This record gives sequence, C-alpha cells and structure tokens, in this order.
Amino acid sequence: MEIDKSLVSGSMALLVLKLLEDGDKYGYQMIEELRRRSNDTFHLKAGTLYPLLHGLEEKGLVTAYEREAAAGKPRRYYHMTKAGGAALREKEESWNTYARAVGWVLKGGACFG
Amino acid sequence: MAETIREYLDTVQEQIRWKRARPVVARELEQHLNDQRGAFLEEGNTPETAERLAVEEMGDPVTVGTELDRVHRPKPQWWLLTATIALALLGGFLRVWLTASGADMYEAVSPFRTAIALALGTACLLGAYFLDYTWLTHHAFGVYIGALAAGVLSLWLSPDINYVSYYTRYVVLLYPTVYAVWLYHCRRKRWKGLLLAILGGVPLAIIGWLAPYVLGVLLLMVTGFVLLLTAADMDWFGVGRAKTAAVALGMAAAIAGSVVWQVWKNGWCQGRLLRFLHPELDPLGGGYQAMTVRKVLSVSQWRGTGNWSETGAVFPFERSVPDWTLDFLPTTVIYKLGWLPFILLVLAVGGLMLRLLWKCLRQKNQTGRLVALSVIAPLTLQTVFSVMQNLGYILFSASMPLVTGNLPTVITMGLIGLALSVFREEPIAREESVEQNAASSIRLSLRNEKDAQNGNHVLGVSLIISRDGTKKTESTSE
Repeated sequence: MEIDKSLVSGSMALLVLKLLEDGDKYGYQMIEELRRRSNDTFHLKAGTLYPLLHGLEEKGLVTAYEREAAAGKPRRYYHMTKAGGAALREKEESWNTYARAVGWVLKGGACFG
Repeated sequence: MAETIREYLDTVQEQIRWKRARPVVARELEQHLNDQRGAFLEEGNTPETAERLAVEEMGDPVTVGTELDRVHRPKPQWWLLTATIALALLGGFLRVWLTASGADMYEAVSPFRTAIALALGTACLLGAYFLDYTWLTHHAFGVYIGALAAGVLSLWLSPDINYVSYYTRYVVLLYPTVYAVWLYHCRRKRWKGLLLAILGGVPLAIIGWLAPYVLGVLLLMVTGFVLLLTAADMDWFGVGRAKTAAVALGMAAAIAGSVVWQVWKNGWCQGRLLRFLHPELDPLGGGYQAMTVRKVLSVSQWRGTGNWSETGAVFPFERSVPDWTLDFLPTTVIYKLGWLPFILLVLAVGGLMLRLLWKCLRQKNQTGRLVALSVIAPLTLQTVFSVMQNLGYILFSASMPLVTGNLPTVITMGLIGLALSVFREEPIAREESVEQNAASSIRLSLRNEKDAQNGNHVLGVSLIISRDGTKKTESTSE
C-alpha cells in the first residue's frame, strides 16, 4: 500500500538519525537500509535525503567525513553526534506519544480504567 | 527533464546560489548517482537506461537544488565586521584627537594618514573576509617561502627605528598565520611531517629575533605551540595524538628551560625581568617608562583630565611620557579622558577578542580552526601585554589591537578579516576539507565506471591511490 508522503516527511529526521544509531553510514546505504528495515515501505528519494542530512549537519546533529567504501570508492559517511543522540531520544519520545494518541483516537478514545 | 547524470548535476548546481558550495554538493550527489546506476546495471539494464533510472530515482533536480540552496549559505559575519570597523574608527579618532596637543613637537598623529590607514584597513578587512582562506592552505609551501622572503627583504631594506627593523616587526606579526599554513603543509607526513612542522618555525623565529622583535618572537612561539598542540589533538601528522602532544610538550619544555637558563645567566634578561617587577629600582634608566606611566596613573581621574602638575614634573605630559602617541596611547586615554573611558575601551577590545576566540574554538573545520586561532591568539596576547604596559607593568612594548598605530591597525584589520572569512565559510569549508582528503580517489571512481560499462565479464586492474599517497594495484574479475 502506498504511504501518504505527508505522514513520512515530518518524521524523516527521526528515521535518519535512527539509522545512524548503530553505525556510520553514507547516503545510498541509508536509503537501502531504510527500505530494508521498513519492509520495502519507505522509498526515500535521494533528493530528499541529502538536503535533510546537510541540514542535520548544519545543526550539529551529525558530522560527515569521507572514507573509502568497498572497492576503494570514496563515500561521504555520516556520524551521529552526542547532540544528535539527544535529539533522537527526544524525537522518539514525541513520536511515541503522537503514535499512542493517534492509536487511541482511531480506536475510539483512551481507556481510563 | 534531466536524463543524464551530468544534466542532473548541472541543474541542481544552477539552483545553488553560493558558488563555492556547488562542487562539494555535486560530488556527493554524483557518488550516489553512480551507486544507483551500478545497482540498475546489475539488474540487467543497459547503461543508458540505468543512468536514466538513477536520475529519476533521485527526484526533481530543481526541488533538490532549491532545498540544498537553503542549507548551503555562507554565514555572514556582519556584526563582527561592524564591531571591528567601529573599534578601528574609534581608535583612529582617539589617535588624532588626543595627540593634537603634540602638534608643536611634531608628534600629533596626522588625520590624513589615519584616514588613509582606516580606508586601507577596511579594504584589507573586507578583502580578507571575502577571500577564500583555503587558498592559503592550498598554496601552503609558496605562502611559507613568500613569507620568509618578505622577512629577509624587510630585514635588508627596512630602516631601523629604535634599533629595530621597522617593517620586519609587521611582517613578523603575520608569522603565526604563516606557521598555521605551514602546519597544514606538513600534515599526513607522519614523523617527517612533525619534524618539518617544528623546524619550519625556526627560520620564522630567527627573522623575528634578527629584527630584533622580542614580542613578535614570543607571540610566534606561544601561538606556534598552541597550534602544534591543536594539530596534535586532531592527529594531523598521523603518528598519534599522544605522541605528537608529547613531542610538542617536550619541545616547549626545552624552550622554556632554555629561556629560564638565559634569564638566569644573562644579565640583560635578569635586568628586564627586575625592571618589570620593580621599575622603581632604576627610575631614570630602564624603569623610566614604567615609573612615568605609574606617575600618570596616580594623577588620573575617574572621568576627565588628570592633574599633571601634582606630579611636580618640569615638562608637560606630552614631553614627559615616551611614546604617548604610540604604544602608550591607552595611558594617554587614562590621563586625558579618565579611567572610565579606558576601562570601556579595554572591555570593547577584549570583548571583541574573546568573541572571536569563542567562535574560533567552536569551529568544526580543522584547518579553519587553526587559521583563526593563529590570528586570534596573538591579538589576544597583544591586548593583554598592552593593558599591562599601560598600567605600568612593562615586559614587552605592545600595540593595543585596532587602537594603537596606523600600520598595526591595517595589519590587525586584515588578520581579523581572515578569521572572519573562516567563520563565514564554515558550512562549506568543513566539507571541502574532506574533499581534499580524498581527491586522489576520484580517478579510481572514473576507472571503475569505465570498467562497469565495458561489459559484464571484466578482468581488470584498478589503481587505488589511498589518502596517504601510497599506491597499490588490485586485480578484479567478474
């Protein structure tokens, strides 16, 4: 099923930071990883990813460095900073709150006992 | 609609207004597009189809370029530029206004020359601000040799004033920045680089010593040591942080030890130190300047002109205080305007230096941080020595940045412009420095593309040139 883009766009920074939680990655790798982890649901366009990554770098949430990937090809890897880790936890918490609230509404309201 | 990688990248770059950001952004997108094309080729597509699909997968180039344009903007430093110009104007005004009473002794600072210096200083400030400071690091060896040549020429051609080669003093003020550039030249050369980095400072220090300009040599050595430690922290030479730091600290300890030894053995050094601490022991000789300043301070007021007659001096202030229009101008400010304006002036200059230092230490780009530090550390030290000197504790005669002297103001403004250029270009310099690291690998990427397009079964040899410049061959077969 095709996902409404507006549902994804707001949480893209969360997803990208989450991808970097378990290791440094370059852009192409992130797109592939996101596709794999979302069970082929999220097809993130590279044209969306790079402005987002560069924005996160500007805010100091990630840093970038160049390293040779497989076959000696140079790739620009992204690394999540401490500030990025803190932002990730904050975004995760907000997302969980939001998802719970949406769930309650869809189920007809929260049950208070 | 773009169909080829080249067209796509061109369209993206056209949307980015900051020209320096374009190649950096394009390079990363190109890497991605090549990966994507490789994936489509593996799926069995023809090279043309694979390239078109890769471009389609990327998204609309205009939208992508516009988004990247929003992110990649230079960081204008208008506030610091304005503050620098305002302080220089204030300094120029004080120089002309407060020294006007020395016209009959030909000591008044010329308004015309001051105006020229301010115009030239502003041009240097803005010129350096808009300069791509990485040009200096890209031409590091030439810059170093040019600076040495300028120093030698100045020693040879410059007139001596007060037994000091006049123009060499100002050339030496540029040497901490030249040394930062030299450190860049020596990086990634391991122990040889570290040795060259240390030895590179020696000719610069010798020129300062021959001037002779003791403060200049001290600024160079202290800043050089700080820069070397910063380079060690970034492991610029590739021999390990701890080892580089140990060598730098060992060297500093050896130099400090030899200085202490000189002070202990050398009567001139001992005398200088003694006069710094107790100028009253030689009030008419080496301690005269300090004693005169202290006398001025004792009759100065919180606000307004001091009562010089209270000192019992035979000659007026202008004839009694040496260099009252030059390095002792801040003392003149205290005497003629009062302590409050002096404190405000020191707070303004010190505040600017601290602000610059704070921004410098927050720099993410290693080269930028080193270049900015090479500018700000000596200026901050000069400010400290100048304040000490104008409070009667004279270890070295120092100019107060942007306040004292026309030529020093021009040089200070140029140097501050260079530091501001680092701050301005931080967003893209951070990335470009990485691009430089792997520039040698670009050829490898092109070679691989060619191999991929030649057919499915390729027995090829790839030349890999790694970042440290070593070469190795790798055979691949598919």
